[in-house]
Amino acid sequence: MTTAERTSADIEASLSDPTADDDTWWTHLGNDGAMGDEALARLHGLLVRASRHQVWRLRDLLHGADADEIDDLAQQAADDAMVAVLRKLPTFEGRSRFTTWAYKFAVLQAGVAVRGQAWRNREIPLPDSVVLADTAPSPADLSEAAQLAQAVQTAIATDLTPYQRRVVLALLVEAVPIDVLADRLGTTRNALYKALHDARQRLRHALVASGHLESPSTGSTS
Amino acid sequence: MNDSPAVLTEAAIAGLLVDTEPYLSCDECFERIDQYVDRRVTDPSHADPGMDTHLAGCGACAEEARTLEDLLRQDAEVTSTADTENGRRE
Repeated sequence: MTTAERTSADIEASLSDPTADDDTWWTHLGNDGAMGDEALARLHGLLVRASRHQVWRLRDLLHGADADEIDDLAQQAADDAMVAVLRKLPTFEGRSRFTTWAYKFAVLQAGVAVRGQAWRNREIPLPDSVVLADTAPSPADLSEAAQLAQAVQTAIATDLTPYQRRVVLALLVEAVPIDVLADRLGTTRNALYKALHDARQRLRHALVASGHLESPSTGSTS
Repeated sequence: MNDSPAVLTEAAIAGLLVDTEPYLSCDECFERIDQYVDRRVTDPSHADPGMDTHLAGCGACAEEARTLEDLLRQDAEVTSTADTENGRRE
């Protein structure tokens, strides 16, 4: 066996363990030669594994997709994650294991890809009002749960801004994925989650004030 | 776009009333999720109020945390199996 072959074999052995220590990754990824190339290939392999794992977990969202289409989606997400990981590499601070840190980029990209694909041709429902699941008058209407539902319906109508109302109803009642909604509305996941957070605080505040929630929120409303 | 009224189910009400204070953004969650899951795998009782609260209120981030944890547990099994086999050889 030549020196080059031994080096390659050693790298393969040391990085084939998914829990290889961070120093091993840093040493190899920082190398400009064959050692670095091998480490990059190993890193891409890890991202493909993480991406596939997430895509397969979410495959029920992809109605009618065959195994090849699902795998293509995972490969594309892994490629996108590779770009993100290499761009962010200088920011890695060692607060987690390197492989965990790298995995999260693949898991994020794969989830976004699956949800985007699942909703690609679907209309995004953006209702601005809500009705109760069972509107027929009955003794159940007097129950605590029914009173809470009515109070929530009222608070949605009166305590939220029109934008908050559309966001919370799309996300939590119509179950539109947050990244899909962000894409369609031309905003970000972060901004939508903040709108959702503020709306929840307003709803809780209103329901505490009306006596339908016992524990007051310690947060401020927006 | 669809302006038909949405139907308010019990599950939706539960989601609407989650208390997400203290606030943590999705970007902050992403920054911390690797460290959080690493610790959860080694110590299932590990708590981080900011992360726990965000994951209770954000379905997409919670799904990512579950997948990450699943991957790490699989890695731990692979390593454990390899160690056992190496031990047998020795």
